[in-house]
Amino acid sequence: MKILVTVKEVATVEDEFEIEGTEIAEQYLGADLNEWDDYAIEEAVQLQEDGIADEVVTVTIGPEDCEQTVRQALAKGADRAVRVWDDALEDVDLLDVNAKTEILSAVVEAEDPDLVLSGVQAGDDSFGATGVSVAENLGFQWGAVVNHLEHDFEDGLASVRRELEGGVEELTDIELPAVLTIQTGINEPRYASLRGIRQAQQKPLDVQTLADIGVDESDIETELELTDMYEPESESDATFWEGSPDETASELGDLLRDKGVAQ
Amino acid sequence: MEFGLSEEQEQIRDEVRRFAENEIVPNAEKYDTEEKFPHEIVDKAAEMGLVGSSIPIEYGGAGYSTLESAIIAEELFSHDPGIALSIMACSFGTEAIREFGTEDQKERFLEPVATGEKISGAAISEPDTGSDVSSVSTRAEKDGDEWVINGNKMWITNGTVGDFFVVFCKTDPDADGRYDGFSQIIVESDRDGVSSDKITGKLGIRASDTAELIFDNVRVPEENLVGDRDAAFLQQMHFFDATRTGVAAQGLGIAKGALEAALDYAEDREQFGQSISEFQAIQHKLSEMATETEAARNLTYKAAWNVDQGNDITKLASMAKEYASRVAVEVSNEAVQIHGGAGYVNDFPVERFYRDSKITQIYEGTTEIQKNVIARELLDD
Repeated sequence: MKILVTVKEVATVEDEFEIEGTEIAEQYLGADLNEWDDYAIEEAVQLQEDGIADEVVTVTIGPEDCEQTVRQALAKGADRAVRVWDDALEDVDLLDVNAKTEILSAVVEAEDPDLVLSGVQAGDDSFGATGVSVAENLGFQWGAVVNHLEHDFEDGLASVRRELEGGVEELTDIELPAVLTIQTGINEPRYASLRGIRQAQQKPLDVQTLADIGVDESDIETELELTDMYEPESESDATFWEGSPDETASELGDLLRDKGVAQ
Repeated sequence: MEFGLSEEQEQIRDEVRRFAENEIVPNAEKYDTEEKFPHEIVDKAAEMGLVGSSIPIEYGGAGYSTLESAIIAEELFSHDPGIALSIMACSFGTEAIREFGTEDQKERFLEPVATGEKISGAAISEPDTGSDVSSVSTRAEKDGDEWVINGNKMWITNGTVGDFFVVFCKTDPDADGRYDGFSQIIVESDRDGVSSDKITGKLGIRASDTAELIFDNVRVPEENLVGDRDAAFLQQMHFFDATRTGVAAQGLGIAKGALEAALDYAEDREQFGQSISEFQAIQHKLSEMATETEAARNLTYKAAWNVDQGNDITKLASMAKEYASRVAVEVSNEAVQIHGGAGYVNDFPVERFYRDSKITQIYEGTTEIQKNVIARELLDD
């Protein structure tokens, strides 16, 4: 089985920050591998270690700067990486789901994997739609917000448990090829080992342009415009207590009584 | 001239930082207070390959050089020196096996250390032998095809948790020169006659295990001799540049950790209606701490880079070790001062950094020995 994992370098923000126009000021920003993608990579690498997957390939859309983040996935065990970037993408403010779908679909068609794993969402723009959109576009089956995956794949079916709204979970079988969007907590992502980091430097990382993957610039045009950036007002406060369950329970009791919730 | 780190080195730093923040920081106070060796954390570090980072790839390590090891030490020590040392010291003594050992010794002793199955140690100091290594009195005598070892070793890192030790012994008491007649012999801790006594009450690095080792008629096979008989002194000197640079990196890490803690605190803490970082007295402290830390980093990295080029850098390694350890003590001292009363208790990490920093001026050649070395090199030029 061949697995393609979509990975993204996301912007991270310090606790205290300032907004300049529609951007968070540069000095408060960092970059890291998207948290959800880390779980997707771990799941793929575990499938490989269990002898189910023969090859794990990652795909990312991003400039050269993000290669260090992409190599994290290689250091954890992915075999090779594809990075798509193009001058046409340089000026795009916010790459929308349609554009990502076009690009990733083209890579999926070229790589022809049995399973595509994607994070449920990206920690920065949080669209939470790309994985399912790619599946829809390609006519793949899909399972969103997967928090458990059986490692047997009998009869070409992926048996998954997925989160629905309101704390309800669903057990279902999904026919391959399929896209699964992976939820945090499905596994415990490993640290990249030092040997892994060393070996990752020699693993292939192919850079492709839109033309290379057969996507026309007009396909990635977006109607989306970033018009504002602001911190939402907090509407209520959270109260934290520290101490033993006995102490905190009685403090909670007092608060509930004060607020008139409990008699 | 290139001052930047490679992408790979940046990745190492980032991943070690992630490990330290998640696994070390939440547990640092506990292991320090209990003076307990952090087996659970060391096991996780072994999975990540942190314990055998300098062991060659073919023996299960990552084969990293002095500079990469310095980056790892800096990052680990900036989070908690006691646990950092526990992790990095798991392969103490293996450098001698790596450089002078037989193929059989490398397979038997390097691989299990790289995978975290075994912990090694180096046993040089004795109750009466610190800086003057030539006065080592632990005796190894040949009896048939075995070595019989008698003597006491003091301040031995991993003394009660180590699986084997590379022991510095006198093998020819009649040797002419004061540096002649010593050999390095591997002694497994489960041999008859080996016992250890944990040393508690240390000022700092309390998570790291320190003990006295006692060898009472311990018999080991002759193939446990590392390198050449009677040549241990020269063999050991071979590593001074790298090991002193390693301690410089530890000092650098402590300074970095203390500086970061002081910066955070200075911005958070308010007095007289403003953050104390608004006061020039605090600003000047922070400026000096940051500048000294940066200078220690440049000296340490320069020494490490030179070791990796194969250059002989006796003077530079001693300068880096002496300076970075001094900066560790000074910066952690100022970090406690900035914290005021809060820095005097273990609610904040600076109290630990302050206590932990002192050892870097003592082990691997005291500050005074480093200055002697620097002066000798200067005057001989």
